[in-house]
Amino acid sequence: MNEFSRRGFLGLAGAAGVAGLAACAGTGTSPTTGGGGGSSNTIEFWSNHPGNSKPVEQQIIKAFEAANPSLKVKLVDAGKNYEEVAQKFNASLAGGSLPDVVVVSDVTWFNFALNKQLSPLDELLSTAKIDTSDYVDALYNDYNLDDKHYALPFSRSTPLFYYNKDLWKAAGLEDRGPKDWDEFLTWAPKLKAAAGSDKIVMELPDGSNYLDWVFQNIVWGYGGAYSKEWTPTFSDPNTVKAGTYLQNLAKDGYLKLSKDPAPDFTAGIVGCSMMSTGSLGGVAKDAKFPVGTAFLPGDGNCPTGGAGVGIPANIPDDRKKNALKFIEFLTNAQNTVTFTQATGYMPVRKSAVDLPEEKAFLEKNPNAQTAIEQLPKTRSQDNVRVLLPGGGARIGKGLDQIVQGQDVATVFKGLDAESQQVFDSQIKSKLGA
Amino acid sequence: MQSSVTQPQSATPGSGGPPPEVGPPPRRSSGRAWEWSLAALLLLPNLVLLIVFTYRPLLDNIRLSFTDWNISSPIANPVGLSNYIEWFGRDDTKIIVRNTLVFTVATVGISMAVGLGLALLLDQKLKGRNIVRSVVFAPFVISGAAIGIAFQFVFDPQFGLVRDLLARIGVASPDFYQQPGWALFMVTVTYIWKNLGYTFVIYLAALQGRRADLDEAAEIDGATAWTRFRRVLMPQLRPTTFFLSITVLLSSVQVFDIINVMTRGGPQGNGTTTLVYQVYQETFVNQRAGYGATVATVMFVILLAVTVVQVRFMDRGKQA
Repeated sequence: MNEFSRRGFLGLAGAAGVAGLAACAGTGTSPTTGGGGGSSNTIEFWSNHPGNSKPVEQQIIKAFEAANPSLKVKLVDAGKNYEEVAQKFNASLAGGSLPDVVVVSDVTWFNFALNKQLSPLDELLSTAKIDTSDYVDALYNDYNLDDKHYALPFSRSTPLFYYNKDLWKAAGLEDRGPKDWDEFLTWAPKLKAAAGSDKIVMELPDGSNYLDWVFQNIVWGYGGAYSKEWTPTFSDPNTVKAGTYLQNLAKDGYLKLSKDPAPDFTAGIVGCSMMSTGSLGGVAKDAKFPVGTAFLPGDGNCPTGGAGVGIPANIPDDRKKNALKFIEFLTNAQNTVTFTQATGYMPVRKSAVDLPEEKAFLEKNPNAQTAIEQLPKTRSQDNVRVLLPGGGARIGKGLDQIVQGQDVATVFKGLDAESQQVFDSQIKSKLGA
Repeated sequence: MQSSVTQPQSATPGSGGPPPEVGPPPRRSSGRAWEWSLAALLLLPNLVLLIVFTYRPLLDNIRLSFTDWNISSPIANPVGLSNYIEWFGRDDTKIIVRNTLVFTVATVGISMAVGLGLALLLDQKLKGRNIVRSVVFAPFVISGAAIGIAFQFVFDPQFGLVRDLLARIGVASPDFYQQPGWALFMVTVTYIWKNLGYTFVIYLAALQGRRADLDEAAEIDGATAWTRFRRVLMPQLRPTTFFLSITVLLSSVQVFDIINVMTRGGPQGNGTTTLVYQVYQETFVNQRAGYGATVATVMFVILLAVTVVQVRFMDRGKQA
């Protein structure tokens, strides 16, 4: 009989550990279609509670249950951000129990729709006689694929230009945001002189934290784009010009990147930033100086963002019907106002701004008014950022490299090639299928 | 283990051969069968769990690595070796393998060396050593995500503790979040701090179980402290060192929470991306579960090879 020593045992245990590591790496599930599960009178709502909205979500759910006594809504913590909700939903597609309603972001909805895992809502909406014309058109149409809508807008946001009014005053600037990025460049030396060496003129989120989202404003401002439809256009001279502008801002000491500019801005270390309207509530509350908000520089160059709510394709029809009933309630004019006022996200219904409570709120909170007035100037994002898998992360990585000084044209040429390759290998054959 | 059962020599009746040797009575075959049955019964539950939750997914993972599976899709098309060819040919593979190597070597080496040092120190009869032992071990039981969040404040280039300490000696803080080298340094230090308690407590247990008489004998023979450490203590700690080298290696390679919370694999896209983080990125962010399975399979092969080398190395050490 061979010796079975402690070392032999440890070796075997190590091998088992190695095997377990590979097996548990997140890919050990067979691609199957989820079975649905769930109950027909309990609506399971998977949310990441965008903008710390759990209390207000619970408040809306309570009102829904009171209005529909035969239905219950189970609010599930499905992650801390949109990406985690998508991961949980993916896991459920591979065999788990599917939710009835799931939060899908501007970036995550498309892959689910393309792979037929979200229900097209048009027929359901028509059967339930729900009028969609009251949804803000730009937001409603963000979820359109082949003339079908796969989600309804929920926690929708845009970036805003936030600035420290005290610094603006000290620099002798008018109390407003820059008209365009060329004007900002003329302001930057004055702001730097007024801010002093220990403060930063502008801070933006880095490439791992949505720089690719807000940078679209600069790109569009210079006449460029990440893509035209599905054709990547990073090497377009105007896109390269925008990249060079970003690089020069950093090189000249006017720009820094960080994980999250909000704490630095509210602490008074940073003069201005582009951040989501969803940050408005927290920034206004925490800042010890007067906060100014303005449209993003340029006219009509503001990207939309945030998330909507969708219904899984592979659940029974009666569950879909109840899910739609809840979504309609969650996003009706009254509740979008409740949600907006609690979080800073934008109302997704046109009629919401005419409600007396919203009018009163906007009168008291002029910064929230800025976001609403900017809404008609928004523009749907470029396909290669929001619709290509990994688009945001890919572009963010390139922008980080540009800010660190790498050649703009070379980085953008690489992004063109990578984006095209992803489109060809993952999207092209499925479009129109 | 050598069998202790002496094989009985059969004496053929009427052969006139030597009388049978007197020895322990032979075990009956039914007794042995019962032992095997008991062993199988005891092993079976774990074996079933291993097969269902480790080896079957492992094989499934290898199968998926030869497909183009999009994680949201019900269909996975076979693509042959193209995922592997892509992985070996991509520019970022070198960076990610280098990150994994640097992170793993640093975390395994430093946490074992410092853990041993602390165990030696706190094995002495020092005042308040139990409190210090608890303090050293405590971070190990805290979740990596919580530690990642806490350490963001330590390394924050605007508000962080490190910035404050460096400012006191007139040195500017590096931007730990935007410079890939510093970012990797940051997550490595954070991981070592979290896991030091593990190596410490295992080494401490081994030290407390060692033979003190050998050390005393060597001291009487005039061996220096260094010689006693190298020639007397370390050989006794060899099995513990081997155990730790495997378990710390495996846990270091698996690190995900700290990287995800602190850097999300950045800056510049893959500044702190390790192989396991790449599996996550490709599978869940880029939706390429087939390609993610390829990276996981490559990682499995690399780790298996490293583990085999470790086992061989220890066996050779035993024979030497």
